[in-house]
Amino acid sequence: MRTIVVPGEKVADEPRQQDEACFADSHGTFASVVSLADEGRVIPLKGRYLPILGDYVIGIIKEMQLTGYIIDLNSPYEARLSDRDCREEYRIGDVISAKISSVNEVHDAGAMEPRAFQGGELLEVEPVKVPRIIGRNGSMLATIKEYTDTQLFVGKNGRIYLKDGNTVLASLAVLKICREAHIPGLTERMTAFLQEESKKVKKNEE
Amino acid sequence: MKSDKVLFNPDGSRLDGRGATDLRPLAIRAGVLKRAEGSAMVEWGKNKVIAAVYGPREVFPRFMTDPYKAIISARYIMAPFSSLEEHNRSGPNRRSQEISKVCKHVFENLILTEKFPKTMIEIHMEVIQSDGGTRVAAITAAAVALADAGIPLRDIACGVSVGKANGKLVLDLDKTEDNFGESDVPHVISPRTGEILLYQLDGMLTKEEISQSYDMVLEASKQIREKQVAALKEKYESALDAQNGE
Repeated sequence: MRTIVVPGEKVADEPRQQDEACFADSHGTFASVVSLADEGRVIPLKGRYLPILGDYVIGIIKEMQLTGYIIDLNSPYEARLSDRDCREEYRIGDVISAKISSVNEVHDAGAMEPRAFQGGELLEVEPVKVPRIIGRNGSMLATIKEYTDTQLFVGKNGRIYLKDGNTVLASLAVLKICREAHIPGLTERMTAFLQEESKKVKKNEE
Repeated sequence: MKSDKVLFNPDGSRLDGRGATDLRPLAIRAGVLKRAEGSAMVEWGKNKVIAAVYGPREVFPRFMTDPYKAIISARYIMAPFSSLEEHNRSGPNRRSQEISKVCKHVFENLILTEKFPKTMIEIHMEVIQSDGGTRVAAITAAAVALADAGIPLRDIACGVSVGKANGKLVLDLDKTEDNFGESDVPHVISPRTGEILLYQLDGMLTKEEISQSYDMVLEASKQIREKQVAALKEKYESALDAQNGE
């Protein structure tokens, strides 16, 4: 049974420490953000991105320094990108994909493997919805790609890069996922939505 | 301060018809502002308060950065048109600076600040219309706005004031009872644990009255929390209802 829990609401009688959206004391485990409680798991419905080692993110060059760049990560924290890891020069405002190569205890991150995006569109969504946009083994992304022919690159920080094909429909699909991620039966609903909308697009083309 | 003003009707009810432990009508809505990360509006009797939360974000000014936890900046302010007198000039004053400071301490004990080192969380509380008890209304709104912003909290704080009017303890004072009663005590508590987050005694109360007033607050906090939770859940359940309607 899925229920929405709010901060301070008990989710387990025993203290558990592992959940991101929870805190524990001697009385039990409590939700700390508005979340979806589902069979003992607590899935946050809102939250900021915190850099995690190995994440692929989409960043925007925010500052240029002597030895590299500072990248905005759609997060309270930013990442440093060293010149030595770059094969080309970037300018402020360039959108790049990068991999988080190091994170310390105060969430300062290092980035590597930068790749600049040319053209296309950028969408910002709630970072907590990213797993739902990707789907199990990338199934949701594959569905969107199938119906829209759009190239999608989803950064873990909640930024999505779209290029080619019907980017408008792909963006609408992504936003629909974010709105309805907490409601059961998302996959079927998304397939139906994309089928219907792509039919309309085809009709208009004819 | 004693006053000769009669604050009860002949039938024993208060001037607005309430009983001693009745709250004024309370309505809370979450997510009223689109630009803010979290927001809420509280309409509590004649009080109207909008709260907005921004962050966690980079600290400004930078020297205030705390490498171990997030810092909280709270701003309580009354709009110049919010009441009939006194607040006829915009901008902060001595009273609003004090209330901002006590609000900041409430939220420092409520937010899991250690999760966001080196950042700052901004809480703005704007009183649009006032009729006594605005600081507790503002904190009640800000607590919902914080939860709406997805900031990790230990609990959703509830605030309500208790006071003494014509020698009788009354809950949720309005402006007349506040101004002409003997005492006014805004309480903010964490309903999960019953801990007191804010307690400002204005006037005099006996020991017994203090413990009695705390019990009144604890009872009222259940109703307030119910409204706060309903406001937060409504935001997500409305998407569910729209889905069922299709």
